[in-house]
Amino acid sequence: MGPLTAYFFRDRRIERTLGFASLFLAVVLLLAQAAPVAAGGSLDKITERGYLIWGSDAEGGAPYVFPDPRDPSHLIGFEVDLADAIAKRLGVKARQGQNAWDSLIPALKRGDFDIVMNGIEITPQRKEEVLFSLPYYVYTEQLVVRKDDNTISAIGDLKGKKAGTLSGTVAQEILTKGGGIDVRIYSGQVEPYEDLAIGRIDGVLLDLPIAAYYGKTNPKLRYAGGPIGEGYYGIAIRKGNDDLKAKIDGILAELLRSGELKRIYQKWDLWGPPQEKLTRLYREKTGFVGLEESRKAPLSTFLPALLKGAGITILISSTSMALAISLGLLLTVCRLYGRPPLSTLSTAYIEVYRGTPLLIQLYILYYGLPNIGISLSPVTAAFLGLGMNYAAYEAEIYRAGIIAVPKGQMEAALSLGMSQGLALRRVVLPQALRIATPGVTNDFIALFKDSSLVSVIAMVELTKTYSILAASTLRFFELGLIAAILYFCMSYPLSILARRLEERLKGGGR
Amino acid sequence: MIRVRGLRKSYGGQLLFRRLDLDISKGEVVVLIGPSGSGKSSFLRCVNGLESFEEGEVTVGGIALHSIRGRSRAEGEAIRRVRLKVGMVFQQFNLFPHMSVIGNIVEAPVRVLGVDRETAAIEARKLLRRINIEGKADSYPGELSGGEQQRVAIARALAMRPEAMLFDEPTSSLDPEMVGEVLSVIRDLVGEGMTTVIATHEMGFAREVADRVVVFDKGEIVETGPPEEIFSHPKTERTRAFLSRVLPG
Ligand SMILES: Nc1ncnc2c1ncn2[C@@H]1O[C@H](COP(=O)(O)OP(=O)(O)OP(=O)(O)O)[C@@H](O)[C@H]1O
Ligand SMILES: [Mg+2]
Repeated sequence: MGPLTAYFFRDRRIERTLGFASLFLAVVLLLAQAAPVAAGGSLDKITERGYLIWGSDAEGGAPYVFPDPRDPSHLIGFEVDLADAIAKRLGVKARQGQNAWDSLIPALKRGDFDIVMNGIEITPQRKEEVLFSLPYYVYTEQLVVRKDDNTISAIGDLKGKKAGTLSGTVAQEILTKGGGIDVRIYSGQVEPYEDLAIGRIDGVLLDLPIAAYYGKTNPKLRYAGGPIGEGYYGIAIRKGNDDLKAKIDGILAELLRSGELKRIYQKWDLWGPPQEKLTRLYREKTGFVGLEESRKAPLSTFLPALLKGAGITILISSTSMALAISLGLLLTVCRLYGRPPLSTLSTAYIEVYRGTPLLIQLYILYYGLPNIGISLSPVTAAFLGLGMNYAAYEAEIYRAGIIAVPKGQMEAALSLGMSQGLALRRVVLPQALRIATPGVTNDFIALFKDSSLVSVIAMVELTKTYSILAASTLRFFELGLIAAILYFCMSYPLSILARRLEERLKGGGR
Repeated sequence: MIRVRGLRKSYGGQLLFRRLDLDISKGEVVVLIGPSGSGKSSFLRCVNGLESFEEGEVTVGGIALHSIRGRSRAEGEAIRRVRLKVGMVFQQFNLFPHMSVIGNIVEAPVRVLGVDRETAAIEARKLLRRINIEGKADSYPGELSGGEQQRVAIARALAMRPEAMLFDEPTSSLDPEMVGEVLSVIRDLVGEGMTTVIATHEMGFAREVADRVVVFDKGEIVETGPPEEIFSHPKTERTRAFLSRVLPG
């Protein structure tokens, strides 16, 4: 601590107090940095690294990419097969990178993945943002309605009715242009069909593979009219990576020529446009997994994946709580005992972080910072996002603790010749922290649950694992119970601890 | 030893001391009396820098404190040096509840004076013997009676080997049966020749130990003199009025 801090603080001992807090902070930050860093990009890097990171969203992702119901820690889907085939020809292995579907392109642009392949339609708007490979699939849109509703047989019949689709899709554009349709935007592919079946909406327009897997399989639903529109899925590649694009184009052409692409699509029953054939055949095909099967799989098959998610939840929550505890202390001390610029800055930090949604803070940290050249890995962003947010709350808890220590304590310490910093460190803070402990422990429990928010920045923790599995099996209830039990098992010991601490405090004494 | 000149002090626009002068020489025992709110505590707190003041000068053992407006580094250092010369005992004891009795006593010698912990602990035990609570060295303040706590607070101040002691109503928050034990510790201290300033409502004790009694009223010193004079032949009406209120009969 140098002359700079000497200027900011009235007392040199406070600097030492801060020294400890910032040392702890530094260690925590260092640990966070040890986490895996973001993927790079170009062809050479991929070869050097030995694997190709392809971005996609496994949540509700059948038949594109989704967890194998027989082994949920393992992803399957026609895009998984395609990614493996491409990687093999690049001489590397394929590795899936998870993110929410509508954030895949931003994540690609900031360098999380080498490519994105997840039913991304080639559109002029997207072409301005990224490069596209040659098309690897020709899709059509399919309208699905309820069997008992015979008023709708084409898009035109949807006027004045409610129709669901996914955000950012070509289907959304078609519906919007249809005019007079109340368009409901969903972020997963399962929910629109569920809502349709129970009558919340009147139709769902989505890409045929989705309609075939999630719509046609529902006994309450039927196709309305034939396929509409036609477009191409392409592999998205970051701008500037032309060498990678050229290589992938070559590989796709080869896969098509050799018949391997056809074999992959046949395996998933996606070859050829007639959708009737698609639904009729897919149960006969080997290696194809229907919804029924995954609905019947014993719950224990999903446990390893959920436990892994729980592990990540624990990791993220405890590291970010460590950050919150130390940064919060730093903020309080600066706020209460720092000179004006420092105290005002700390107050501003606390107010801003408490006054804005955590979700937006996470988005800015993860997707916003790359705009100014700072790219954080998902783990680092999650750790910083949660930690910095909770630091503001911890700071307030500490402040309440410090205020609760009688003024006479500081005065007695000062009258013994202690400096303000020493008095703070040895007399006031130990008492204040004791008062603050139950509050901090309670916040730790809250943070455990809030950690589910980091799934928006490509972290697959417990809640995300749950929603991915539930969406592919439709077993929201049973899997939800398991996930909830896991959360409870993690937070209950903490609340017992909080209660003990509170009781001890109430008991007075030491 | 302590010299106060032209002290002016107000609380948020409310003037308390207009111009206060007082000298206390080495080894002298001065007792401050006066009605509640007359400024006894404020005076003691100005002397050891716990309160700032607007004008005048407080000098303690040759170190001068000035009106503390800017609170420069040098001034902060001066205050700390003054506090090393005078010990202070509060009405509310203000022991550190998270430290044991011995911990309370050795804390400042170790952290401020740099005495090693062993030596400080030996000294602390001697002090505990002096105040008659040797057995409670490892107890915590919450486990002690008020009288014991106040005696430990005195020991804690003495451990810094001050040249003078300030007592701000040391017995006012005690149950009557504990007043005696605290007063007897102060009496011993006075007997050893410690320069002492005591603000108190214990008139009997004031009369017994004081070399000089100073009567405060509404922020002014209305009278000062030896105890027999003040108590038997008060010169001013304000002193008489005050004494007739506090003394029975
Ligand atoms: N921190 C403060 N802020 C504002 N006014 C104060 C403060 N401390 C003391 N005063 C005022 O200053 C005056 C003198 O108070 P002080 O405590 O010095 O009197 P005292 O003689 O010690 O009284 P007592 O016998 O009740 O302890 C009172 O009017 C009091 O209200
Ligand atoms: Mg008082």
